[in-house]
Amino acid sequence: MLNVAGEISGDSWGIFAFLCAALCNLPAVPALNGTDELGTGQSIQKTYDLTRYLEHQLRTLAGTYLNYLGPPFNEPDFNPPRLAWAERVPSATVDFDLWRGLTDNARLAANYRAYSRLLCYLRGLDGQAGTAELRHSLGHFCSSLQGLVVSIAGVMSSLGYPLPAGTAAAAAGPPAPAGAPASPNDFLKKMDDFWLLKELQTWLWRSAKDFNRLKKKVPPAVVTLRLEAQGF
Amino acid sequence: MWKNSSLCCVLALAILCLTSLICSQEIGSPGEPQNLKCIMHNLHKMICTWDVSSKGRYGQTDFCYTTSHLPPPVCIKTREKRVEIPVSESSITVSITTNSIYGAAFGTKKFAIHKKDISFVPLTPHILSLTPDFSTSTLNLKWSDNGSVFPYGLDAFWQIEILRKETMEKVTQVTYHSKLTHENTILSWNWTSDMPLECTSHYAKIRCYINVTDFVGHKDWSDWSPVEKVLGKDTEPNGSGVFPQDTVVAVGSDVTICCVHAEDQQIKRMTYGPEIYPLIHLSSRSSAIRVINASASDTSGTNVVCTLSQDEMDGTVLFVGYAPDTPQNLSCETSNFLIIKCTWKPGRPSGLYGKRRTKYSLLERISGKNVSCEVNEMNRERVCGFPVLADQKTYSFTLGVSNPIGQTESSLLVDLTQRVHPKTPEKLTVSGNSSTNVHLHWYINGSFTEIRLLCQIEISSGHSEQKLHNVSMPGGKFSTYTAQLNALHPYTKYQFRVRCSAADHFWRWSDWSRVEEHTTLEAPPARGPDVWRERSPSGSSLKIFWKPLTLSEANGKIVSHEVSCYLLDTLLEYKEVTEPSNSTEIKLGKNDCVISVVAKNHAGSSPPSKITSVELPSDNVKTERAVALGNGIYISWSSYPNVTCGYIVKWCRSSGSEPCSVDWQKFPSNTTDAVIKSALFRPGVRYNFLLYGCKSSGYQLLKNITGYMKELPPKRAPNFTVEETSSDSILVKWEDIPVEDCQGFLEGYRLSFAKGEKDALKPRLSESGNPELKVKNITDLTKKSLRILDLQGKTSYQLDLQAYTAGGVSPPNSLYVVTKEDSVGLIIAILIPVAVVVLLGVVASIFCYRKREWIKDTFYPEIPNPENSKALQFQKNICEGNKTLKTLEMNPCTPNSVEVVETQSAAPKIEDTEMMSPAADTTVPEDGSDSENENHVVVSYCPPIIEEEISNPSMDEPVGSSQVVYIDIQSMYQPQIKAEEEPEIDLVTTAGYKPQMQLPISALKIESRSATEEESDKTAGYRPQANTNAWNMDTPDSPGSVESTNENASFGSPCSINSRQFLIPPKDDEDSPKPTNTGWSFTHFFQNKPND
Repeated sequence: MLNVAGEISGDSWGIFAFLCAALCNLPAVPALNGTDELGTGQSIQKTYDLTRYLEHQLRTLAGTYLNYLGPPFNEPDFNPPRLAWAERVPSATVDFDLWRGLTDNARLAANYRAYSRLLCYLRGLDGQAGTAELRHSLGHFCSSLQGLVVSIAGVMSSLGYPLPAGTAAAAAGPPAPAGAPASPNDFLKKMDDFWLLKELQTWLWRSAKDFNRLKKKVPPAVVTLRLEAQGF
Repeated sequence: MWKNSSLCCVLALAILCLTSLICSQEIGSPGEPQNLKCIMHNLHKMICTWDVSSKGRYGQTDFCYTTSHLPPPVCIKTREKRVEIPVSESSITVSITTNSIYGAAFGTKKFAIHKKDISFVPLTPHILSLTPDFSTSTLNLKWSDNGSVFPYGLDAFWQIEILRKETMEKVTQVTYHSKLTHENTILSWNWTSDMPLECTSHYAKIRCYINVTDFVGHKDWSDWSPVEKVLGKDTEPNGSGVFPQDTVVAVGSDVTICCVHAEDQQIKRMTYGPEIYPLIHLSSRSSAIRVINASASDTSGTNVVCTLSQDEMDGTVLFVGYAPDTPQNLSCETSNFLIIKCTWKPGRPSGLYGKRRTKYSLLERISGKNVSCEVNEMNRERVCGFPVLADQKTYSFTLGVSNPIGQTESSLLVDLTQRVHPKTPEKLTVSGNSSTNVHLHWYINGSFTEIRLLCQIEISSGHSEQKLHNVSMPGGKFSTYTAQLNALHPYTKYQFRVRCSAADHFWRWSDWSRVEEHTTLEAPPARGPDVWRERSPSGSSLKIFWKPLTLSEANGKIVSHEVSCYLLDTLLEYKEVTEPSNSTEIKLGKNDCVISVVAKNHAGSSPPSKITSVELPSDNVKTERAVALGNGIYISWSSYPNVTCGYIVKWCRSSGSEPCSVDWQKFPSNTTDAVIKSALFRPGVRYNFLLYGCKSSGYQLLKNITGYMKELPPKRAPNFTVEETSSDSILVKWEDIPVEDCQGFLEGYRLSFAKGEKDALKPRLSESGNPELKVKNITDLTKKSLRILDLQGKTSYQLDLQAYTAGGVSPPNSLYVVTKEDSVGLIIAILIPVAVVVLLGVVASIFCYRKREWIKDTFYPEIPNPENSKALQFQKNICEGNKTLKTLEMNPCTPNSVEVVETQSAAPKIEDTEMMSPAADTTVPEDGSDSENENHVVVSYCPPIIEEEISNPSMDEPVGSSQVVYIDIQSMYQPQIKAEEEPEIDLVTTAGYKPQMQLPISALKIESRSATEEESDKTAGYRPQANTNAWNMDTPDSPGSVESTNENASFGSPCSINSRQFLIPPKDDEDSPKPTNTGWSFTHFFQNKPND
């Protein structure tokens, strides 16, 4: 569904994402290979920093938003079952060992996919929030998350990984209403919001770890080779 | 109700039975029909039923009836016990014959049916439909009234019962009234449930009662219709959820919320917001909670959560808010005749947000145009725009307000031309090429062709207050407006701003435009400067002063002043003085002239100001004092008859480092007083004012006036000195205080004085509260000295001198003065004692001279007789007395001064010669001098006074003649002295001196040695005249340290024999006291004495 939506509305944002990816890859062109290692490392570092910043930002936002949802959503021990409706939100509850067993590419791709979809839902929240203050906070967070998606795309490109098929445009493009069907009632909508925030938190936490690990083990030689293999 | 209706049924049945009993004339034979009952369901036909008492089988029944107006009987053959016959107006006679199956008649019975015996029971109504509206929890019931069979206008009553739950609990019963219209009408009735319809099944049934007015028989309710039901979600196999879903209710409502779940689940709890509510059981799959008086929910609504077993959860959100408040202060106006802007205050917030928020729409009734308003929730004041319609002046607005809970509206009728609030004027420009006129241009965004505009121009300049200038002008269509302003002041920087409103029907001013500045051009000064002149002391030159013109008079920037001097139209002198100088000097010699001063700016010259230089002589010019008045100085003068052209008060600062700056003020001739005010006036400074009178021939000095704006205490006290002091007076002199230090008119001095030493910490006299403080007040200012009298001699006085004015007392100057001693008294005090002493001396001399023989006999006899010697007697007596009385006589030991007086003439005593030894001879000469010098040996046994006495004779007499004997007491006794003294003592011991004879030590060994004493007396070669006891006893008291005295006393440091006691020889060496004795205390010694 998301892919479809992305194709429908992935106009200028898609171009922008492509340009970003291209720019991120530019240092990796063999002629400019001197800066390649540095560029990738910096790009991962920046992505990591952005993830940490988003984690911090989300803490504040989640507090405000859960209070807005009211009890019992703002109760610390509230742990509702994931209703069928909430399943649409990409879950980060993959087994830890399984996750570690994935390749960097797979992990980055999963991250990229997840944030693209989370962003989609988050934009849905933005339009419905009851107070202007909350709308402002959500808008700000969305912009940051958009930056993260672009940033991950940049890292993937610089490492020579292809973007997950069909998600690039969806991620970079504006929210697709068709991608997020409305919940049947307000309560389920609130549950969705709750899970969205919770999953975001888990994803950000795990992404920070991923990028940290990646940062330490970026093999510049591999990067170059792969890029060359891609025909750069 | 249920019970009631069944009771009614029973009752109706009973009545029916009763009537049939009455109707049928029962014969009672078997097989006969009985209990004929006739019931009407409509007004046309009735149904008659009967019973047959026989139990046997019967065939056809012949039912024959006749009415009164239908004579031939109508017979109906039937196999049932029921026939339908038309309703007759009159009574009916019925004959019922039952036949056997074979055709034989069993029995025949006749009945008479009267009208009143017939019952009317309507047909049972049927529910056409029962439709639920789940969103509003409303049931809609539809049925037909079957009215076609009844005449028009009958009242029909419908009883409807609503039942709920599987147990069919009655929820409500209502009676619905309708009129029958002789047609079959579908009736409809709505009922809103207090519980969502999803929660459990709901049922409905209905019955009717038709009030047939002209029917005389019994009328009854119909039977209940079959029950119609609406099934709840708990009956659906997969039905679950919390209901109602996303509902909006008003604050204060009672709400029932239910949770429908699967069969295998249980509800753990249900919460509304943060609170857990008690469950109301509805069915095995449904439970509810009831929230009473719901309070307003949060922005996102109140969550209702149903927690189920197996960690399942479901919920709903309830939005509790208020119906919209009626908009207040609805007001509509236009700023440009394009859009009408309506504003209002929304009142109480509804508490509903998002899609449930309060919505506004503006309806204009005259045109019927409706616009919906997009309002900003954040803004307290709501705004909605409505387009101005062509050719419509009056608008009737209705602001409709609605939200899911309710709706309201507010109306306003406006004439648009009376509600014009123009936009802020823009593009304000000022143009002008004149010193007094300007043109203002501004633009207003809007079309005001239908009205006149009134614009207000605010004119402000730095030195005058704001002025408002109103201009009325016809309105234009997006046009620029112009206004001219006259009578402005030249060379002035003006600030202009504009605002506008409708001229004919004022509604509101627009905001002020931004400020535009403009400076008008210069114009010639309005008048000549104020002029004064002063002749120099030498008289050869004239100094001319003028005052600068005020900004409003100068009309521009003054560049110079032209000063000319005319003598009868002859220009004597001309000078052009450039700014900023405000005075000039012209050499005039002894001449006089008329001086003319003209101020010039870039635009031109002022009219000339003229003054004559002639100064008339004045005599007897008095000096007076002025009075301070408020922040000025009040001066007054008497009217001078010759003064024709006014008075001039000229002043100058009386002191100060800078040159005197001349200032003046002119007054008309009829003035006799003035308050001179100046920002330059300072309190405590003396100002001198000169009053000039203006006469036709010139100016004349009339009066000198001095004054202060405010008198202050003098800055300091006068310096003062003490000119003269005597034992009882002080003459104090002081100096004048300089005028600038006075700070006021000096009124006197205060001299205070009191006794006091110079002490930095001492407070001022006046503050010390000294009771002896005396104050002298000197009001005679010419007095510069004062003598203070009646003071005490040789006493320190503190003098404080202060000056005072009306403003207060200066700080004091202090002096300390010591008055002189009283010399006469001193002389007397010295002379009198001297004289007394001299007199006494003379008297004593005379007495001594007269009684010299007696004195000689008494004190210096030719042959001294110890017995007679008073002195010795005296000693003896004392000693004797001591023997008995004293134990611790601390007197200087006079007994030690036993003197052995030898006369040369007397033959030496045998004892003496015997005592002499060759060894002694050698030592003798040394005695007189060394006895004292060699103190370390001799110590201080002999008091100096005694030595003196001794030494004198020794010097007088030949050495050899003097009988000086040394006794080495230490050789007699083992000396008990300090260790370091030992060698010396030894030395002495080994010296040539030897005791001349053996002296029994017993005399010294005091303890119970009275016998020895006597013995020693006998054996000794020499016997002192004095009793040994006496010196023995007294030795402790001899001067010197205790220790030395001790030695001296008993154990004899070497001692001159010129003294006395040790001449008595002690005992043998072996008898000498033990060293222990030396340390033995005197107390012991004396204590033992009495035992002797």
